[in-house]
Amino acid sequence: MLRFDRRLLLNFDWVLIVAVFVVALIGLANIYSSTHLYTKVGTPLYIRELTYYLMGAGIALLIVSIDYRVLLTLNYPLYIAMILLLLFALAFGKTIGGAQRWIDLGFFRLQPSEPAKLVLVITLASYYYRKETGKGFTLLDLVVPALLTGVPFILIAKQPDLGTGLLLGFIFASMTLFVKLRWTTLATLLCGGLSAIPIAWKFFLKPYQRQRVETFLNPENDPLGTGYHIIQSKIAVGSGLIFGKGFMQGTQGQLDFLPERHTDFAFSVWAEEWGFMGSVVLLLCYFFMILWGLNIAISARDKFGVLLAFGVVSLIFWQAFINLAMVMGLLPVVGVPLPLFSYGGSSLLTNLAGLGLLMNIRMRRYMGTS
Amino acid sequence: MLKKRIDIAMALIIFSAALLLTRLWYLQIYRGDEYAKLSEINRIRIQEIAAPRGNILDRNGQPIITNRPRFNVVWSREDAPNPDAVIKDLARILNEDISVLLDRIRAGTENPRYMPTRLKEDIDWETLAAIENKHLSLPGVRIEVMPSRDYLYGDFASHFVGYLGEISPAELAQSRYAKYQSGDQIGKQGVEKIFEEYLKGEKGRNYLEVDVHGFEQRQMQLQDPYPGNDLQLTLDIELQRAAEEAMADKAGAVVVMEVNTGNLLVMCSTPPLHLQEFVGGISSTAWNKLLNNPLNPLLNKTIQGQYPPGSTFKIVTALAAISEGVITPDASFFCGGALNFGNRRYGCWKKGGHGTVDFQRALIESCDVYFYSVGMRLGVDNIAKYATSLGMGRKSGIEIEHEKAGIIPSSAWKQQRYKQKWQDGETLSVAIGQGYVLTTPLQVCRMTAAVVNGGTLYRPQIVHSITAPDGKILKTFAPTSEGKILGSAHSLALIKEALVGVVNSPGGTAKVVKLPDVLIGGKTGTAQVVGLTHVEGMSEKNIPYKYRDHAWFTSFAPAEKPEIAVTVLVEHGQHGGSAAGPVARAVYKRYFELKNGIPKETAETPPIAKDEKEE
Repeated sequence: MLRFDRRLLLNFDWVLIVAVFVVALIGLANIYSSTHLYTKVGTPLYIRELTYYLMGAGIALLIVSIDYRVLLTLNYPLYIAMILLLLFALAFGKTIGGAQRWIDLGFFRLQPSEPAKLVLVITLASYYYRKETGKGFTLLDLVVPALLTGVPFILIAKQPDLGTGLLLGFIFASMTLFVKLRWTTLATLLCGGLSAIPIAWKFFLKPYQRQRVETFLNPENDPLGTGYHIIQSKIAVGSGLIFGKGFMQGTQGQLDFLPERHTDFAFSVWAEEWGFMGSVVLLLCYFFMILWGLNIAISARDKFGVLLAFGVVSLIFWQAFINLAMVMGLLPVVGVPLPLFSYGGSSLLTNLAGLGLLMNIRMRRYMGTS
Repeated sequence: MLKKRIDIAMALIIFSAALLLTRLWYLQIYRGDEYAKLSEINRIRIQEIAAPRGNILDRNGQPIITNRPRFNVVWSREDAPNPDAVIKDLARILNEDISVLLDRIRAGTENPRYMPTRLKEDIDWETLAAIENKHLSLPGVRIEVMPSRDYLYGDFASHFVGYLGEISPAELAQSRYAKYQSGDQIGKQGVEKIFEEYLKGEKGRNYLEVDVHGFEQRQMQLQDPYPGNDLQLTLDIELQRAAEEAMADKAGAVVVMEVNTGNLLVMCSTPPLHLQEFVGGISSTAWNKLLNNPLNPLLNKTIQGQYPPGSTFKIVTALAAISEGVITPDASFFCGGALNFGNRRYGCWKKGGHGTVDFQRALIESCDVYFYSVGMRLGVDNIAKYATSLGMGRKSGIEIEHEKAGIIPSSAWKQQRYKQKWQDGETLSVAIGQGYVLTTPLQVCRMTAAVVNGGTLYRPQIVHSITAPDGKILKTFAPTSEGKILGSAHSLALIKEALVGVVNSPGGTAKVVKLPDVLIGGKTGTAQVVGLTHVEGMSEKNIPYKYRDHAWFTSFAPAEKPEIAVTVLVEHGQHGGSAAGPVARAVYKRYFELKNGIPKETAETPPIAKDEKEE
C-alpha cells in the first residue's frame, strides 16, 4: 500500500505548506491573546491547539502517503461510519449550549459534524466521478447525491446545528453546479430552491434560528439579546482601525465583550488587535490558499482528483466566507468556525485532513491514472 | 470545459474576497472612529467620588458643621463562595436579624452584578473594627466610605444651617441643578441650600476599566475630588448656645444683631429641628410628628413667625409721635385704667391706671392709655409710615428663604385688603402693636437696632464670608445700609433714654434683665393671641396654652454705645418681662463675659415683686 514514489517528494507543494504554516502561526498567536487571561486551570488553549495541529499534521502526512484514488473504494464505508457517528452523537452526545454535538472520547471530544463535511465532499466527488456521462446530469441523476447530502444534513440540523447543516448544502450545491448539468435541470433546481426558502422558514427553522436571522437583519432592535454578538463583533473589528490596538491589547476581546472570542469570533480579536493591515494580510492568506487550491484542481491528473480538490476548496471557502461575513455583520450568526484559525480540534483536524487531500492530489498530478 | 468552470469559480471567489475587503474597509476605516468610540464607552466606567462639602463656621472661624467619614457595609455577590455562612456571621456582628440582611440582598438582585448591595449604613467604630478583624472570614463583605455631615453642636441654629438630602426628581428638573445626578446629596434648607453651589465642591472621578460584567479590571485615571468652600456665618457659637439653652423649655425665637453692621450673632428658633433625623432622608413618621407638633418646630420663628408686636411697637409709635410733633416729651396724659372711644372702652393693662404719665413714664411703664391718645393724634398712616421706614411690614432681605413680611396696616392697606374704610378705633390697637399689626422677631430686632444706632437701617446678614479650601476669600458680605430711618436724632435719644429706664428704673417692666456692670435698655411686650372675651375672668394658669399671650422683649446694650440688640419672643409666655427677659439677660451675660474675658456673676436675679404685675 505504501508505494512511495521518489517523485512525490519532488512534487511536494511547498507553497501550500507555507500558506498553511503562516495561517497556523497567526491563529495560534491569536488564540494565545484571546485566552491567556481566562485559562487559569489545565492546559492553556493555545497549547492544546498546537497539539491538534501536530496531530493534524500527522493525519495529513498519512493521507498524503496514500493515493487519493483509494477513496473511490473507501467512500461508502467512510460515509456509513459518518452517519453512525452522527446518530451516536444525537443519541448519546454531550450537550453543550443546548445542542447535542459532541462525542466524548475521554482525551478528545469529537464533534462528528466536522469530519462529516469532508466525508460528504469525498462521497459526492466519488459519486459524480462514477456517474459522469458527458451529456450532463438529469434531475433524476441528482436524487442520489441529494439523498446522500440530505441524511447528514437532517442529522446535523437536528442537533441543532443549522450552520454546519447549511454548509453541507453549500458544498452539495457547489459541487453539483461544478459537474455538468442539463439546462432543464439547472432551471428546475433554481425555481425549486427559491420556492423552498419560505417553506423552510415556516416549517423547518426553530424559533431561535428564525430570531437569529431576524436579529441579523435588524441587530439594533435587540442590542442586549441576540443582536449583542453582532454589535460587539462589529465594534471589535471597527475599533481596530488601520493598525489595530496591539497584540493582547484589544479591549473588546480581552474584557470579554466579545462572545466566543477564541472560536467563532477569533477573527474579530485579530481584526481588533491588528487592524485593517493585519486583517488584509490574513484575508489574503486565505484567498491565496483557496485560489491555490483551485489551481491544484485544474492540475489534477484525473477527473476524480479535480472533483475532490474542488470539493475540498469549496469546503474551505464556504467556511471562511460564512465565518468572515458573519463576524463582520454581513450574515446572521451561525456557528461556522474559521478554518485553521478558530479554536477547536474537530474542525482543525478535518480541515488539515482536507488540505492533506489537496496535497495528495497535487503531488500525484504527473502520475498515470494507473 | 472544466477549466471554464474553474475560472468561473475563481471569479466568484475573487469577488467574495473583494466584498469582504470592502466590508473591512468600511468597518475599520470608513466608520472606524465611530466604532473606536463605542469600544471606549464599552470598557470605561466613570465612578464618581463625592467631594467633601465645605465646612460651616461661626463668626470666629469655629467649625459648626464639618464632615466625617461614614462607613457602610456593602456586599458583593461575586466574591463570596459560601454566602449563607458569611451572612450569618455578619448578622451577628452587625447585631441585625439575618432576615433583614437577606431582604436587602434580595432587593439588590435587580442591580447589575458588579454593583454591591448596601447592607447597613453608618456603622460605629466598634462594628467597623469587628468587621475589619474578621475580614478574611467575610469574603464579599466590604466597607464603603462616604463623606457625611458632622453636626458638632447638635441642633445648633438648625433652621438656618438646614440639612442635606437626596436630590428629588422635581429638583433634578430645575435648571439650577442641571449638573446633578439622581442620588446626589444637596442642601435642602437654610444656608446648606442657598449656598449649595459654594459648598458642594467638585466631584472626583475614577476612570475604571471594566469587563463586560462590569467588574473592575484596573484604574485608568483618578481625578481627586475638590472640597467645597467654607462658609463663615455671622453667628457666634457661644452666644447662640446661650440663647438655645435659655430657650430650651420654651417655644419661640431669639435674635441678636450687631446694631452697627446688621450682622446676626444669634438666630435661634425653638423647638429646634433634629438634624440627625434628616441625615439619609427623614422617615414619614418622624415627618408627621414634626407636622403635628403644636410647638411647630418646622417653623423658623425668627423670620417666619408673625406675631403682633404688642408693646414693643410703642417704640415705633413714640418715634412717630415725637418726630411728627404731635406731642412734646413733657406733655402728660391721664390714665384712669381705660380710654373710652366711640362706643368702646379701651383698657390699659394696669387696671387701676397709671395716673398722670409723661413720655418717659409712658414708655417705662408701658401705659396703653397714653399711646391710645398719641395714636389718635398721629393717625394710622403716620404710624405706618414710620413702621415701614423701620423695616416692618416688608421682608428684610436676609439670605434665608421663606422670610415673611408681616403686616403694617394703613388706611390704603385696609381698603385694598378688605375694601373697607379705616376705623379710627382700629388706630388705637395699632398704636400699642395689636390689631392687624404682625411682625417677625427679626423685624423687631432690626427696628430696635436702627433706633439705638443713630437711625441707620442695616440689612440683616447671617453669612460673613466664603473661603476657598486654599484659604483664598472668595466673597465677603459687607454690612449693607438701607439708609436712614424717619425720625429726628432728638426723638431717638429720648426713646433710648426711656428704654434704659424700662430695665433700670423702679417702675420699669423689665427690671429682671438688669446686669450689674452693663447698662441695658429695652422694651417688653405682650401680644394678645385672642380677644379678651376668650379669657375674661380666667386666672392666668387656667388659660389654655394656645390662648395665652406671647411674651416679647427687645433690647440693646451697652446703653452708652450700643453694640448689640437682643430680641426675644416666647410663644404663649404671657409676660414679656418674666418670660422673655431672663433669656435676653442670659444672652447679654454671655456676650459681655466673652467680650471682657472674665465671667462676672455677682448680682442675683432681682426677684419680681409679687404685687407688681408687669407686662
